[in-house]
Amino acid sequence: MATLDLNAISKSFGSAKVLHDISLAIEDKEFVVFVGPSGCGKSTLLRIIAGLEEATSGLIIIGGEDVSNAHPVDRGISMVFQSYALYPHLSVYENIAFPLRVQKLDAADMDSRVQKAAAILQLTDKLQLKPGQLSGGQRQRVAIGRSIVRNPKVFLFDEPLSNLDAALRGDMRVELSQLHRELDATMVYVTHDQVEAMTMADRIVVLNGGRVEQFGTPMELYHHPATKFVASFIGQPNMNLIPASVAGVDASGVMVELDGGHRMALPVASSTVSMGDKVEVGIRPEHVNMGDSGLDISVNVLERLGGTSITYGTIGNGTRFCAALPGDAAIEEGRNLTLCVAPENCHVFDANGDVLRRQAAPEMVA
Amino acid sequence: MMDRYTKLQIVGIYACLAIFLTFILLPFFEMFMASLRPLEHLFRSPYQFWSDDFSFDAYKQMWVTVPLLGRYIFNSIYISFMVTGLTMIFVVPAAYAFARLQFPFKNATLGIFLGVNMFTGAVLLIPLYRVLRTLGLLNTYWAMIVPGVAFLIPTGIWLLRSYLEKIPRELEEAAFVDGASRLYTLRRVVLPLATPGLIVVGVAVFIGAYAQQFLFAITFNQTRELQPLPAGLYEFIGYQSVTWNEMMAAALVGVLPVMIIFLFLQKYLVAGLTAGAVKE
Repeated sequence: MATLDLNAISKSFGSAKVLHDISLAIEDKEFVVFVGPSGCGKSTLLRIIAGLEEATSGLIIIGGEDVSNAHPVDRGISMVFQSYALYPHLSVYENIAFPLRVQKLDAADMDSRVQKAAAILQLTDKLQLKPGQLSGGQRQRVAIGRSIVRNPKVFLFDEPLSNLDAALRGDMRVELSQLHRELDATMVYVTHDQVEAMTMADRIVVLNGGRVEQFGTPMELYHHPATKFVASFIGQPNMNLIPASVAGVDASGVMVELDGGHRMALPVASSTVSMGDKVEVGIRPEHVNMGDSGLDISVNVLERLGGTSITYGTIGNGTRFCAALPGDAAIEEGRNLTLCVAPENCHVFDANGDVLRRQAAPEMVA
Repeated sequence: MMDRYTKLQIVGIYACLAIFLTFILLPFFEMFMASLRPLEHLFRSPYQFWSDDFSFDAYKQMWVTVPLLGRYIFNSIYISFMVTGLTMIFVVPAAYAFARLQFPFKNATLGIFLGVNMFTGAVLLIPLYRVLRTLGLLNTYWAMIVPGVAFLIPTGIWLLRSYLEKIPRELEEAAFVDGASRLYTLRRVVLPLATPGLIVVGVAVFIGAYAQQFLFAITFNQTRELQPLPAGLYEFIGYQSVTWNEMMAAALVGVLPVMIIFLFLQKYLVAGLTAGAVKE
């Protein structure tokens, strides 16, 4: 197993630049998830690491060795594809054994490795079947089996769960996390699903427009999003972003006036803003409570999920607002509601979308 | 359901099929009817559709009239198989290259291949004759095989290329990541998946080879023993009379082995081998 370092990776397709100077240091045995909207370059970055795509510039270093120009096999990586990429004419056994046949391993060694992989992935009784006879989850496991027989240094996953239905996806998430623990391997996982990222990752790389927005642990991203993009990408339902203006600045924080006139003193780093600046205040839906004074919201749509009631409405001059309230809260569509928010739970983003660091939020140990 | 038709539509479809099939099959039927009649009855007027003097005598007599008939049938099949085999050897790597690799003038080359297809062999007979004479291939099997292969390669490439392009690229990428070379991937992954396509192309080439050998045979070959069936049928045209019934019988017998092969291959033509490769 090994560390994976990316050093100023850039990639252009013709005149279109899709990756801009990406540098990441991924630790040994770490589970890192690349997450971002479609077209952010996450799959391209993974394919560059795999050696399927050549970087326009930059270095890829695996286990201290520069492999930028090496063949995928010599990089010590293996990859699981979104479509599984199983060979339909070969049995499960032959699919898993494929990389070993390429290596011309002797039969006994090959058989023991295939059997071991099959045992880990509970495929022992499926080895003689063809991929077409398997369910989606089983096919996924065969694809993983093919990637583990070679004992690679780094595993790469390209949206491996996106073809599965929701229930199976949840199960496979747990299985993949267990597999990571069992194999004790460095894994890089690409997804557009922030839930997969939050639940499985040791650390998450949020990509947007070919740039790294933030690289950190899931809770770091949740509590201290570096940018507005990360803030709105991580967390379900999405963070509310309310236009506001700075009404006062002092050492303890910033006084903001929200759209609609409500004023709040927020304990955030205040050195980069001044009176009258336009900012946006981020409030997570789960951080609001029903109260007597605070934000006035007119409720448009109410989704009762049982445990929580997701309430959609507007505040001020039509800014949309979403709140996650207790399941049996006394709310009705078409009524007004007053919500209160603890100032320490609010995020403030400047006009560039960069965060003013919260002073009261839990500090994350790196 | 997309494929649900009303009664009227079904009747219409079958009517169209019947007209089409009549058009295609009537000559074969007439060939068969002609082969069953004594020669003098073929010129009987008025024409009788049905008569009670049908017999299989022509099928016996034809081997006597043209003693080399068996040899001609064998030659036909031999030449077609050789042409098909050689063509596939060239077409498979070429089609794969056109389907997957990037190289300069790729589209231009494909265009030229299509352009070559526009010429029939007949236009190029004289230059081809000179080439074959220079190479010393006249009056050998090669005189009929080499031009056949040359004219069928473009069609083969176009047909197989479009089939290979349908094979998911991720399968090859997976093999590449696992360390397989292009050739290994072609042999172990691409060609097994392309089997239905290979059979389709093989059949198309075989039919092409069977159809075009007549022209090359009468132009480039004077050796009687090497003639294929279409050229050999000329021997039924005698000085005094043409034994039409025997010629029809011989033509039917000559086509028979090929028809039997296709009956067996037919199921492969419709086999969907890629099921389960990629989730739809």
